[in-house]
Amino acid sequence: MQTTLQTVERSNPLGVRFLGFWNTFKKSRTGVLGLVMLTVIILVAIFAPLLAPYGRLETVSISDIYKPPSALHLFGTDDAGQDVFSNFVFGARVSLTVGFFAAFISIIIGGTFGLVAGFFGGRWENFIMRFTDIMLVIPDLPLMVVIVALTKPSLLNIIFVIGLLGWTTTARVVRSQTLAVKSRKFVLRARAIGASRGHIISRHILPLVMPILVVQAVLVISLAILNESALSFLGLGDPTTLSWGQMLNYAFGRGAMSAGAWWALVFPGFGIVWVVLGLTLLGQGLEQVLNPRLDTHHLMPSRPVVQNEARAKPVPSQALLEALNLSIHYVNDEGRAPARAVENVSFTLNEGELLGLVGESGCGKTTLMLALLRLLPSAGQIVDGRVYFHGRDLTALSEVEMNEIRWSGISIVFQGAMNALNPVRTVGDQIAEAIIKHIPLYPREGIPARVTELLDLVGIAADQRDHFPHQYSGGMRQRALIAMALACNPQVIIADEPTTALDVMIQAQILELLDLLRKKLGLAIVFVTHDLGIVAEMCDKVLVMYGGVTAEYANVDVIYNDSQHPYTQELLKAFPDLTKPKKKLTSIPGYPPRLDALPAGCRFAPRCPAVFDRCHAEEPSLHQIGNDGHIASCHLIERTR
Amino acid sequence: MNLTRAILRKAAWSVFTILFVIILNFFLFRVLPGDPARAGIRDPRLKKEAVEMLRVRFGLDKPVINCFESLNPITLGDCNVNPLDTQFFIYVRNLTQGELGISYHTNRPVADVLAERLWNTVLLIGAGQILSIIIGVALGVFAAWKARTYLDYGAVAASLVAWSLPTFWLGIILLFWGSSNGFPLAGKATPGMSSMPLLQQWGDIARHMFLPTLTYTIVYLGEYTLIMRSSLVDVLSEDYILTAKAKGLSAFQILKDHALKNAMLPLVTVIAINLGFTVAGAIQIEAVFSWPGLGSAIYEAVGRRDFPILQGAFLLIAIAVIIANFLADLTYHWLDPRVQVE
Repeated sequence: MQTTLQTVERSNPLGVRFLGFWNTFKKSRTGVLGLVMLTVIILVAIFAPLLAPYGRLETVSISDIYKPPSALHLFGTDDAGQDVFSNFVFGARVSLTVGFFAAFISIIIGGTFGLVAGFFGGRWENFIMRFTDIMLVIPDLPLMVVIVALTKPSLLNIIFVIGLLGWTTTARVVRSQTLAVKSRKFVLRARAIGASRGHIISRHILPLVMPILVVQAVLVISLAILNESALSFLGLGDPTTLSWGQMLNYAFGRGAMSAGAWWALVFPGFGIVWVVLGLTLLGQGLEQVLNPRLDTHHLMPSRPVVQNEARAKPVPSQALLEALNLSIHYVNDEGRAPARAVENVSFTLNEGELLGLVGESGCGKTTLMLALLRLLPSAGQIVDGRVYFHGRDLTALSEVEMNEIRWSGISIVFQGAMNALNPVRTVGDQIAEAIIKHIPLYPREGIPARVTELLDLVGIAADQRDHFPHQYSGGMRQRALIAMALACNPQVIIADEPTTALDVMIQAQILELLDLLRKKLGLAIVFVTHDLGIVAEMCDKVLVMYGGVTAEYANVDVIYNDSQHPYTQELLKAFPDLTKPKKKLTSIPGYPPRLDALPAGCRFAPRCPAVFDRCHAEEPSLHQIGNDGHIASCHLIERTR
Repeated sequence: MNLTRAILRKAAWSVFTILFVIILNFFLFRVLPGDPARAGIRDPRLKKEAVEMLRVRFGLDKPVINCFESLNPITLGDCNVNPLDTQFFIYVRNLTQGELGISYHTNRPVADVLAERLWNTVLLIGAGQILSIIIGVALGVFAAWKARTYLDYGAVAASLVAWSLPTFWLGIILLFWGSSNGFPLAGKATPGMSSMPLLQQWGDIARHMFLPTLTYTIVYLGEYTLIMRSSLVDVLSEDYILTAKAKGLSAFQILKDHALKNAMLPLVTVIAINLGFTVAGAIQIEAVFSWPGLGSAIYEAVGRRDFPILQGAFLLIAIAVIIANFLADLTYHWLDPRVQVE
């Protein structure tokens, strides 16, 4: 179980840490509900003598057997003429006691085993984990039944049997957490300065294992309560105390069913469900704090496209692909301001052209590309602008129409080749899938040959076709993705940082390959990268993005020789130039702005070397420079003119 | 490590676990005080000859184990006995011949009693598991697909409640409901049915199975739903799902061809780990519905203190769970090609 350990700041005092924990926890409605349910039943158990109208196991009247609920007996009476409500209230004490003490034993054993195995490793770990594996497979309830049947069925025995058999999952969970913590920096540092093992365990490891142990404890308590009730029901409970399970055993075995006395059967079980459900909900809440999950995924419906109706509907140009005034926001449910990921970006792409899209990470490049194909995550929304492909407005298409265009018209090569391929299907199969989807009339028997041909095009041998992605190297996976992108003869390929994770030699191969394919097949390519050097050789046009807006957009030679935006100039300075070997390389200090906390005025102003007063006050508009489509957004342009 | 070696290792490990259970089973019933055969021997009212007769009958005249000189620094047992003449050896020898002793209550061989009942339990668990897995997976897929909508929240809430139900209690409630709705309340078949045509007999069994299977399905449904949901949400947020979406596949195609198989992997592990709990559920359900399986054999044996049955049933159940676990491991290997080369 991996957890976000950053939430537990070790240096903070306990009180502050608890407060932080509580603030996160109280946002989980399930967790709070569980805590309330649990508190209620614990209070009932503590104040049992005050709540119960009759004494513990007090027979009210032997003639009042199985009397239905009334004002006198809230939950009716049982087979011995006892008040079910009183027994229920006292039964809470028994069930909770067994649950808490048994879980305490399990947690101590499991926690110790897990810590020792994880921290010391080697033979200890081997022995403990093997033993844990064995105990995990042996079914616990039958074993508990055997042991309790062979010993005295006293409450103490039951607690010990349940406790001694319930530690296995805890040991496993604690071990993996200890392993994770052990290799973290502050532990390694403590070891390096020679801290004792006891010190490291108690001061460094235990505080980080503790939260997981708490979640685990909640689970173990609920299992212990369920096990106790099952044992009691099977006739192995302590006959001198009346737990909820024992009440059910008596009622079921002594004719409540035939007497129609549902109250004697329903209420005790209701108590068990209440506690177990409360614990489960509490566990979910705690888990949410330790291991926050967003629960979002790629199949969730995307948000509808919004258009600025005030603007006249633009007329598409003759270009193959055209983005016009595209703005994309990431919205959230918590009422915070949306993150303005892309604002008012436009570009055109003609047949056989290569557009370089350049900028640092977090400048909205990928968001823009995903929006072209309407593949934004569920929080992303196109709030303005149009995308034209062959003059057709993609932002107005339905999901079904969009699926026709995806891959057969515009395909995309993602970055991070490892996860972009499905690990449990062969590469060839995943390429064939695209062909079958978009060219239904393609002769089935010809598909393997076509897949081999595509792989050959990117330099992958035919015998690798039926291999799984994990059998490929990183460069091969990237090339396989390119082969897949070519499968349905698209007119446009979007290559989203396809070379970022690869070494220089492979990078060069992939770039050459894309350039070759462009010339051979007449493809238009959008090449996304943060490396200006890469695009110099191949691009026709370059779009430089900064903080979600267009910094500069021009033909490639204009960008290199006559750039107007300081950001473009700084980017150029950051890359080596073979023709000027003595030139000093510089990097731009600072980071791109957070898209949900953009600075006032120009987004680049905080890092700009040529910044002046106006930059902090007013956002620069897009300036046309010359007649060949050179665009830059910088106040300096007005100044120089 | 190649596949054959991995499977052989798992198989060897399962055999080792079975041996452990066999030894544990032997010592549990000899170290713990409850067995009346031995309690009876200590009864001061018995004559010496009677005690001796009982000891011989239950094999208690033999030493428990040989001393295992080479293995153990503490001297256990007597070193001057033939190891082949110890209680432990006789127990193991009997096991290999399929002998599990004689029931105290019915005086029938335990193996015969259990053999009759084993298949009834397999039938109940099989039907319940299949139903709960199918419905649980379907609900989980639905909840994951519609994540963060009210349909999702409803499915999750229902699953949490189902998870929290004590199995036997749900059985009792359903039995209570069934008793007023004409369902048979106990057993596997109506007496006298064996003379009826086969189809009618099956119908009768199905009617008897309905409530136990329903109980079983509801109890295990919740967990499968929750696991399937979270596993599928994880898979659906992977990059390769975005690739599939970019390829123009419909949501249904993505679920069917790219997400389900991957999301099933954690479920297979959970099903394997759950097999032990599964048996726990079967014991409770059989006790409530008097379903003539291993679970009710245990329930009855507990009531009658019939220890040979208890010992035999525990052994049989433990071995069955270990084997089923091994099979689940094989399924995992078959589902996930990555495991083969690890």
